[in-house]
Amino acid sequence: MDKEIPSEDLMARIAKGDEDSFQILVDRHQTSVLNVIYRFIGDRTQAKDLAQEVFLRVWQSAKHYEPKAKFTTWLYRITANLSINELKSARRRRWLPFHRSEGSETAIEETFSNEALSPEDLLLQKERNRQISDALQSLPDNQRMAIVLKRYDGLSYNEIAEILDCSVSAVESLIVRAKRRLHKKLKNFLK
Amino acid sequence: MECRSVQKKFSAYQDRELEPREQERVKNHLQICPACREQYAGFEQVWQTLEGLKGVHPDPWFYRQVVRKIKEPREQVLFPTRQHVFRFFRIPVAVSIILIVGLLTGTYLGSILARFDLFPFPSSPVSDSRVLTSMRVFDPAPPGTLAEGYYRMASYKESDSR
Repeated sequence: MDKEIPSEDLMARIAKGDEDSFQILVDRHQTSVLNVIYRFIGDRTQAKDLAQEVFLRVWQSAKHYEPKAKFTTWLYRITANLSINELKSARRRRWLPFHRSEGSETAIEETFSNEALSPEDLLLQKERNRQISDALQSLPDNQRMAIVLKRYDGLSYNEIAEILDCSVSAVESLIVRAKRRLHKKLKNFLK
Repeated sequence: MECRSVQKKFSAYQDRELEPREQERVKNHLQICPACREQYAGFEQVWQTLEGLKGVHPDPWFYRQVVRKIKEPREQVLFPTRQHVFRFFRIPVAVSIILIVGLLTGTYLGSILARFDLFPFPSSPVSDSRVLTSMRVFDPAPPGTLAEGYYRMASYKESDSR
C-alpha cells in the first residue's frame, strides 16, 4: 500500500511530524542511500553511520522541503554532499586514504554469504571486490560519485548534474574520464 | 561517420545519453567497423566488471537507529568542549567567587562597625601627650636626642648659677 504514496507526499506528511510516513520513506530508500555511500567510501560501517545521518537530515529539513525536483534527486544530493564532505574532513584528519573500519572485511563476507559460494569462489569474489573497490577509490571524488550514481543507480546525466550541482557536459566529461581511468586500473583484471 | 568522432561518443552511447538519431548512427558504425567495435568492447568490459562490486544490505534495526539519532540531544555532540571547559575551570572560578564575596562583605561590615563605633575590641586612641611629643620633632632640640641632653644640661647649669 505504501508504494502507492509518492515520496513527495510522504515528505509533506513528515513535515507535520508523521513518524509512520518517515518509516515508510526510510524503508523505501535506505538500501539505495546506503549503497551509494558504501560504494563511494568503500567502508560499510562508515556508510551505515552516514546513511543514518542522511535520514536524520531528511527529517530535520522536511519542513523546508519543496518538491521542485524529483525526491530522489534531492535525497541523493544530501547523500553526495554528506559523503564528499565526510571524506574531505577525514582527509583533513590525516586519514588518507579513507579510514576503513574493521567491519569492512566482514561486510564483504556477509555480502557474498547469501550466494552460497564455495570457499574458493568466495575468496575469488573477495579479491575481485577488493580490486574493483580499490580502482573506484583511486578516482577523484566527483568522478567516483558520478560513476556510482550512473553505474549502480542508473541516473541520467541530467539528474547527476543536479545532484553534483554542475552542468550536463561536466558530468559527461567526469564519466568519460572515470571510465578511461578505470580501464587503465582494471587492465590486468579485464584480461 | 569518422571513427574519431564515434569514439568520442562511446561513453554517452553506452549510457544511452545520445539523441536517438545519434545513438542509431553509432550503433550502425559499430556494426561495420571492427577497430571501433574492439575499442568499445573495452568500455563494456569495464562496465561489466563494475557490476562485480556487490552492495550491502541495511541492518533490520536501521530505522530504529535513525529515530534514536533524531531523539538524542544534539547539543552535547555539537559542543563537546563546553562541559569539559567548565569542569576544568570549576574550582578556580568557585574560589574566586568566594574570595570576592568575602572581600565585599568584609568591607561593608567594617564600614558599618566603624561608622557606629561597634568594634568588639577597644580602640587605642592616640594620647594627647604622644601627639604633642610627636609634634616636637620639629623643635631645635627634639626630645630623646643628644641635642636635648645638652640643652637640659645647659639649662640646669644656668639655673644653678642663678
